[in-house]
Amino acid sequence: MTSKHNKSGTKHYDAYPEGEVSPLLAYAFRPLFILLPAYIALSILVWGLVWSGQLPLFTENILAWHIYEMMFGVASAGIIGFILTAVPELYDDVKPVVGKTVLAITALWLVGRIAFWMIDWLGVYVVALTNLPLLIWVTALVAKPIFLDPLRRNISLALTFISIILIQAWFFAAMAGWVDTDFIKILKVALGAFMVLELLALRRINTEAINEWLEQHHIDDTFIARPPRYNIAILCVTLFTIVEFIIPDNAILGWLGLAAAAAILNTLNDFFIDEATIFFRSYILPLFLILILMALGYGFMGFAYLSDNIHSITHFRHFLTTGVFGLSFLMVMVIVGTIHTGRSLQTNRWIDFSVILIIIATLLRSLIPFVPEYTTWFYLSSSIIWAIPFIIYLILFYPFLSQPRADGLLG
Amino acid sequence: MNAFFNIIKSFPRYLWSGWGAIASIFLFIALWEFGHQIYGDLILPAPKETFLRLVNMLLHEGMWQEMQITIRRALWGFFISALLGSALGLLAGLFATASMMSRPIVTILMGMPPIAWIVLAMIWFGMGDTTVIFTVVVASFPIVFIGALQGTRTLENNLKEMADSFQTPALMKITDIYFPHVFSYVFPAWIAALGMSWKIVVMAELLSTSDGLGAALAVTRGQLDTAGALALVMMLVGSLLLIEYLLMEPIKREVEQWRD
Repeated sequence: MTSKHNKSGTKHYDAYPEGEVSPLLAYAFRPLFILLPAYIALSILVWGLVWSGQLPLFTENILAWHIYEMMFGVASAGIIGFILTAVPELYDDVKPVVGKTVLAITALWLVGRIAFWMIDWLGVYVVALTNLPLLIWVTALVAKPIFLDPLRRNISLALTFISIILIQAWFFAAMAGWVDTDFIKILKVALGAFMVLELLALRRINTEAINEWLEQHHIDDTFIARPPRYNIAILCVTLFTIVEFIIPDNAILGWLGLAAAAAILNTLNDFFIDEATIFFRSYILPLFLILILMALGYGFMGFAYLSDNIHSITHFRHFLTTGVFGLSFLMVMVIVGTIHTGRSLQTNRWIDFSVILIIIATLLRSLIPFVPEYTTWFYLSSSIIWAIPFIIYLILFYPFLSQPRADGLLG
Repeated sequence: MNAFFNIIKSFPRYLWSGWGAIASIFLFIALWEFGHQIYGDLILPAPKETFLRLVNMLLHEGMWQEMQITIRRALWGFFISALLGSALGLLAGLFATASMMSRPIVTILMGMPPIAWIVLAMIWFGMGDTTVIFTVVVASFPIVFIGALQGTRTLENNLKEMADSFQTPALMKITDIYFPHVFSYVFPAWIAALGMSWKIVVMAELLSTSDGLGAALAVTRGQLDTAGALALVMMLVGSLLLIEYLLMEPIKREVEQWRD
């Protein structure tokens, strides 16, 4: 029994349910991380083609579709896969969700996607009814251990997650005309909440992953992601989000954007450790780059607000979506898909290549304001380049995700 | 020399740690912008306008020269007070009688308002460099003096005895025992004195000279030029921040490593 615990990511197997389960449903991340990359590639290619005029519009409000699906379609699947894997790992005696429940969650996610694509035919209410229950259900599955934890280690994550559900409900209320708010503005608030969630999650992922790496390489040092640094960044991002909603296009946002950028760069101080230079290692560099991209996003938006380039802000916001979302979901899928299928993290050129592609796609998409004459070309190329890493992931990881664990354990 | 290389080596890491401070400063500027939007241009000009004004002043209005004059005066005052204060403070610290005698005098110097010194200096030296530098010296000297005095007074006899019983060479005793201890008192006093110099120099200039940032500040007051006044304040604070955090703080960190 103790030998099992020597390996990382195997703590939860003490509480793993008995009985036969198909490998595809042995953990929530397995089906989700097969469908998610396929869906990312499909939806970004469709978006690139529609926005550049190659495909006709298939819904009246194509912009709302794009933003909503990238956040609540793509990000929610990534987060669900992550949370349902992490919670049994963090808390003793939490039974992992497997089998039929996993099938039902995956099916609900898929129905939600199809429904939003067909929103013009189905109407807002049907789409809301298929979309809203997903995150609520997942919250209900993991809330108990998180809120009963006497140390309250992950309350902040849980509360941010709940606020994202409330924002999602607010969005549908606005679409249905119950509240008089521009729903694109609500989606911007949602993006802010997702960035806070990213920071909270990254603090934990960085600590886990980098210490694991140090141990693997026999480096006698500890990586500590210091909470105060992340808290300042979260404060700045939250202020930016709230002010952007209440008084949009205001110069205050310029300074808040720069403050957020500086505060996020400040979190990178954690990466300076005495015994080794760790920035440029596989699996660590992408984690580092996620924070750099987030800082660039807020920095460029702040700069645009100060220089009255309001029209560039939507482009710069793609540092946060194309960049931060793209890179963090790829990394979460890679790390979870490797460790939790009983393998250890190894340098893989395809994954390094994928990271580079996401960076290129992000720069192409975000820096459009500087090369207005190539706008259409940049839209299309960034969509295609962004899709490739997820196709690579699917090819590389499909065998891992669809077959039993390599080390013979359950799950 | 070794210490110097260490400072250079850890400099990028030290520099990067500045992002936290920069974030706080930007948040403060956001608050300033908010204040501007409530109270308007005359009371509180927009931060962006103030920064543009600052750049314009430095590049086109000859403020660069004025700034050099002010910094030169402040640094002269600082160096003289640091030198005098450290030397006399250390000396006074070595003799119980001297330290007993000097304390009330230092208290008088500390209690005397700088504005009174400016008036006296204007009578003694007229309008010009000497008045400003004298005021700076008089105001910062007691700070350094007390720091140096405390440093020598608190040297631990035990350590001295231990060093003696190991027959430590005199030079080693000075570099490894006395210097780090005394320095940990004197250096913070220098930093405090530097901050004091920067404040006093403007006040002295405002009242007693026709050049330097203080004099320029007097002009902006006369013209109700709030943006100009704020830009001048930023020049002063900015130059002090640069000197303190790019020069003094790295040295302090390196020399005070033994405290960990």
